[in-house]
Amino acid sequence: MLRYVVRRLLLLIPILFGLSILVFFWVRALPGSPISSILGERATPALIQQYKERYGLDEPIYKQYVKQLRAWSHADFGTSIATHRTITYEIKQRFPATVELAVAAMIFAISIGLPLGFFAAKKYGGLFDHASLFISLIGISIPVFFLAIILKYIFAVRLGWLPTVGRQSVLIETEHPTNFYILDAIITRDWAALWDAIRHLILPAIALGSIPLAIITRITRASVLDVQNEDYVRTARAKGLAPITVDQRHVLRNAMLPITTIIGLQVGLLLSGAVLTETVFAWPGIGSWLRDAIFNRDYPVIQGGILFVALIFVLVNLIVDISYAIINPRIRYS
Amino acid sequence: MRGIALKAILALAACAVLVVTLGNSSGSKASSTLIFAGAADPTYLDPALASDGETFRVTEQMYEGLVALKPGTTKVIPKLALKWKSANRGKTWTFWLRHGVKFHDGTPFNAAAVCANFNRWYNWSGAFQDPSATFYYQAIYGGFKHNEVSGLQPPLYRSCAAKGQYKAIVKLRKASGTFFPSLVIAPFSMQSPTAMRKYGADQGELRNGTFRATGSYAFEHPTGTGPFKFKSWTIGQKVEIVRNDKYWGQKAKLSRVIIQPISDSTARLQALQNHDVNAYDLAAPQDIPTLSGNSSLKVIKRPAFNVAYVTIHQGSGPMKELKVRQAVAYGLNRKGVVNQFYYGTGKVAQEFMPPSLYGYAKKVQTYAYNPTKAKQLLNSSSCHVPCHIDFWYPTAVSRPYMPDPVRNFQGFQASLENSGFSVTPHSAPWRPTYVAKVNEGSAGDLNLIGWTGDYADPDNFVGTFFNQTTANAQFGFSNASINSLLLKAKNEANFAKRVALYQKLNQQLMKYLPGVPYAHATPALGAEKRVHNLIATPVGGVWFQYATVG
Amino acid sequence: MSLAEAEAVEIGIEAPGGLWSEAWRKLIRNPGAITGAVIVGVMVLTALFAPVIAPDDPRFTDLNALNHGQPVGPNAEHWFGIDTLGRDEFSRIVYGTRYSLLIGVVAVMIGLTVGLTLGAIAGYAGGYADSAIMRCMDVMLAIPGFLLAIGIVAMLGPGLGKIMVAVGIVNIPIFARLLRSSILAQKQNDFVLAAKAVGVRGRSVLTAHILPNAISPVIVAATLAMATAIIDVAGLGFLGLGPQDPSTPEWGTMLTDANNYLSSAPFLAIIPGLAIVLSVLGFNLIGDGLRETLDPKLRGR
Repeated sequence: MLRYVVRRLLLLIPILFGLSILVFFWVRALPGSPISSILGERATPALIQQYKERYGLDEPIYKQYVKQLRAWSHADFGTSIATHRTITYEIKQRFPATVELAVAAMIFAISIGLPLGFFAAKKYGGLFDHASLFISLIGISIPVFFLAIILKYIFAVRLGWLPTVGRQSVLIETEHPTNFYILDAIITRDWAALWDAIRHLILPAIALGSIPLAIITRITRASVLDVQNEDYVRTARAKGLAPITVDQRHVLRNAMLPITTIIGLQVGLLLSGAVLTETVFAWPGIGSWLRDAIFNRDYPVIQGGILFVALIFVLVNLIVDISYAIINPRIRYS
Repeated sequence: MRGIALKAILALAACAVLVVTLGNSSGSKASSTLIFAGAADPTYLDPALASDGETFRVTEQMYEGLVALKPGTTKVIPKLALKWKSANRGKTWTFWLRHGVKFHDGTPFNAAAVCANFNRWYNWSGAFQDPSATFYYQAIYGGFKHNEVSGLQPPLYRSCAAKGQYKAIVKLRKASGTFFPSLVIAPFSMQSPTAMRKYGADQGELRNGTFRATGSYAFEHPTGTGPFKFKSWTIGQKVEIVRNDKYWGQKAKLSRVIIQPISDSTARLQALQNHDVNAYDLAAPQDIPTLSGNSSLKVIKRPAFNVAYVTIHQGSGPMKELKVRQAVAYGLNRKGVVNQFYYGTGKVAQEFMPPSLYGYAKKVQTYAYNPTKAKQLLNSSSCHVPCHIDFWYPTAVSRPYMPDPVRNFQGFQASLENSGFSVTPHSAPWRPTYVAKVNEGSAGDLNLIGWTGDYADPDNFVGTFFNQTTANAQFGFSNASINSLLLKAKNEANFAKRVALYQKLNQQLMKYLPGVPYAHATPALGAEKRVHNLIATPVGGVWFQYATVG
Repeated sequence: MSLAEAEAVEIGIEAPGGLWSEAWRKLIRNPGAITGAVIVGVMVLTALFAPVIAPDDPRFTDLNALNHGQPVGPNAEHWFGIDTLGRDEFSRIVYGTRYSLLIGVVAVMIGLTVGLTLGAIAGYAGGYADSAIMRCMDVMLAIPGFLLAIGIVAMLGPGLGKIMVAVGIVNIPIFARLLRSSILAQKQNDFVLAAKAVGVRGRSVLTAHILPNAISPVIVAATLAMATAIIDVAGLGFLGLGPQDPSTPEWGTMLTDANNYLSSAPFLAIIPGLAIVLSVLGFNLIGDGLRETLDPKLRGR
C-alpha cells in the first residue's frame, strides 16, 4: 500500500515539472502586449515602446524560466494587470466562491442523481428507467452556458423568484471569516444572510450540476444493475433478508464505489463548467476570473489561474486514486 | 420503496415553494440607498493612480479638484478654488481657495494641502513613474522631478507655494493650454495629505511589469472632501459610500450608494429588470428599446462627448492623394449608418471634436453622401474605379462612440462599394491586437476607431489624434501647417485666441481629410423610473450628489 | 485508471471475433440508437443539401428587413425569423449543420489520428517509449479539457479553425490512453498468447488480433467525442474565442451574439441552442447505443 502511495507521489514530480514548462512557454507564445490591453485607445506607440524597453524581455529564455520557477516556489504567481492585485490574493478571494458553487452543484447532482439512478435500475426497462435515461442524456447534451442563460431568463428575469447575479445581496452586511458564505452565515448566526446566500446559489448550482447529475444517474443505474445480480446479493435475498435491508446493506454500498472513481473526472468538469456558469451569473469565482482575464488579455492571471486549476485537478485526482486503491485492492497492482 | 420516493418528492417541492416565497426580497426597498451597477471593480480608490472609468465613478463622489465641470456639461466652474488667475504668460497660476472645507478625516483643506498634492505627484519616483501607475499625470505634466525612466518628457511643473491658508501659487516651466482644463479630472483631485502619509499612499512596487500599490490608503482609507465618504470595499463585489454630513456644499440626498461590478451588459440589464439594482452604466444600444418599453424603467442619456471616425492611412497606397480621400468622404453613408445603428443616440459628426466643446468651428467643409461625385473624383485621380482598399474593423467590443462596430462596418462597406471602391474587409479582436494595429498604422487604408474625451479641452481630441507622432504612425502623414497650428494652440495662454486657433485648425483638418469623422454618440444608462436627478457627465462619470430613489 | 479505461478493459477482455455481427443486430433493435441515427442522418442530409434546402444565402445581410434595427421573430416568410443583421435565421441554421459536422469530424480526426498512433506505440512497444508518451499525456490531462482548449486558443489566436484544432488536441490524450490500456489488456489475452506461441509475427498479431478488439471502445469514445466537440466549440465561442467573422453561420457563435438580445429577441438564442442540443443528443444516443451493444455486462439481458 505504501509503495503505491509513494509511487503515485513520485509520479507527481514529472507532471508538475512538465506543467511548469508548458505554462511558462505557453504564456510567452501568447499574442499582444499587455499595455495595449489596459490602455485601449490611449496606448500610443510611444508608451508601448517605453514599456517594451523597460521590461526588456531580452534575457535568455532559460534564465527567465529559472527566475519564474523561483518565483513560483515562493508562491509568487505575479500581479494582475487589470486589478493590480497579486494573483495569490485574488485566488484566496475567489477560490472559496468556486468551491462553494462546485460543492452545491455536487450536492444537487448527488441528491437527485443517486435516487434517480437507483430507482431507474430497480424498475429496469420500465417507463421511469427510460425517462431518467432520457433526462440524463439531455443533461449532457445541453451546453452549460445555454442552460444557465435559460434558467436565469425564466426564473430570475421573467418570474423574478431568484436573484440574477452575485453571491449575496449588496444590502446584506455580514462578516466573512472563511469566505464560504454559507459557512460564514452559520458561524455568525446571521440567518438572513444564510437564506440570501442559498438563494443566490440555487440557479448557478443547478446549471453547473446538470452534467454531474446526468453522469451520476447513469453510473448509479449501471452500477446498481451490476451489483443486483451479483452472487452475494442473491445469497442475501435467498437468506430471507427483507428487500430494503438487502438494498441498504449490500447493493447501495457497493454501487457507490464507482462514483468515487469519477469524482476526479467530475472536478475537472466542474472547474471547466464553472468558467461559463460564473460568467452568466457574475459569480465572483475562479471561472469568471479566468474568463475576464482572457477577455482582457491579462496574462499573469491566465497563467496563474490555469496553473492553479491544474494543480488542484492533479491533487484531487491523486487523492481519489489513493482512496480508491485503499477501497479496491485490485487496482494497486495494475 | 415507492413510499420513500413520494415523500422525497413532496419534501423537495415544499422546499422549493419555501425558497421562492420567503426569500423574495427586491433589491432596494429603502429609498435612501441607491444600488448602481458598473462594468468592473475599481483598481484603486486613490484616483491619482488610476486611469479607468470604473475607479473614477467612485472617486468622483469622494474627492474634489480645484475646479470641476458643471454636472452634465463641459463648462468649468469653481470647486475647491473660488477664483484663479494666470500671469507671466501662463506660467504662473494663482488659486484663491474656498474657506472652511475639511477632509473626511477632519483635517483642514488649505493651500498647504494643495501644494502637498502637487508636490506629491511631482516627486514620485521608482515604481510610480511607470505608465501603468500614473498615466494621466504623465499625459499632462510629462515627467517628474527626477526622471528615472527613459522616454519620460521633461516635467511641466516647477513649484507650488502656499501664501497663507487660502492662496496657492503654482508655477510651470512653460506655458500650457492644457494645464488648467485638466484640473477637472479625477487624478488631480485634492487628497488629504495627513491620511496619505498615515496610510502609505506612496508605497508601491513593480511586480512583473505591473504597478501595485502596497499601502492601505488606496484600499481602505481614501480621504477627500466630497459629498460622499468611504464606508467599505469588498473587492470584486461592491464599494459602499455614505453621505458626508459635514460637506461644505449641498449635502447629498441619498444616505448610501452601493456600486456593484457586473461585467456582462446583458446581466446588468437583467439585474435592473429584476430590481436587484436601481441603475446601471454602459447600456448596450440594442437594449435601449427594451428599457424605454418597460413601464418601470427609463433611459438616462449622457451628453455626447466623443467622436467616432474612419482613419485614413496615407502611408502607402492610394490615400496619399487628396482626391481619393475626398472620394472616401463622399462615399461613406454616414447619415445612413448613424440613423440605423445608433438607436436614436447618435448624430453625424462633421469635425473631429464634439460640438459642445469650445474650438468647434461652425462652418467647415462637409461631405454629404454622394456616390456619383465619389466616382468622378476617383476617375480623375490615380486610383480609377474600382479603387481597391483594405478596411479594418474591430470585433468583440462595443465602445461608447461606436456601439456596434460590425454593423457600422457593413453599412460603410456597402456604401463605399456603391461609390467606386472595392473593399477588402479585415478584422481583429479589440484586445489585444486591433488598437495596437491602428495606433501603429498597420490596419489597412481605412479603419474604424474613436475617442471619448477625458476633460473639456480640444487638445484632448485633435491634439491626441494629430500630434506629430500619432499623425505619423496612425495616419501616415506629416503636415507642417497642421502641426504648427496644433502646437501654437496648445500653448496659447489667452483663451479667446486659443478658441480661434482651434476653429481654424478644425477647418483645415476637414479640408485636408486625414480621416472622416462620422458620429457623436450619446451613451446611455439604464435606471428605474423612481431614480431622480441622477446626472451622467459627458466625460463618463456619474453624479450621485443630487440623486434620490423613490 | 479512468472509468473509460476500465470499461475498455472489460469490453476488450470478453470480445472474441463474432462481436461485430452480434453488435449490429442489437444496435438495430435499440430505440435510442435508432433515434440518434435518425437525428444525425437528418443533420448529414441537411448539411449535404443545404443550398437546396435553405431559401436564402446565410450571409446575405438585408438591413432594410429589420424592424427599426431590431430582429424580427418567426413568421410565414422567414420560418425562424431574422437575425440582428437582417439575415434569414432558418438558412443560417441549415448551413450551420455543415459547420457543426465539420467541427466534430475535424476535432475527432485530429484526436484520433494522433492519439491512436501514440497510444498504439505506447501500448505495444512498452518500456521507455510507453513511459515517455504517457507522461506527456498525463501533463496534458492535468489541465481540465475545456481549460486546455482555452489555453491553446489563447496561444493560437481566435478563429473557427483554431478552436477546432484546439478541441482536437484536447482529445489526443484521451484516445491515446484509451487505446493503450485496451492494447495492454489484449496483450494478456489468451488468443493473443496463443497466436504468439504459434509464431505469428508481432505486427500481424497487432493488426489481426489486438486492434480489432481494441477498436470497439474507441468507436464509442469517438462518437461521444463528436458530441463533446460540438459543445466545447460552442462554449469557446461564448467566451469570444470563436469565428471572428460574425457572419459565419455557426450555431455557437449565433448563440453568443444572441445573448445580448435576450430580452428583445429570445428566439435568436433559443433556436441555435436547441439545434446544438439536438445534434449533441443525436451523437450521444448513437454512442450510448454502441456502448450498450458492445459492453459485455449488458449482454444477455
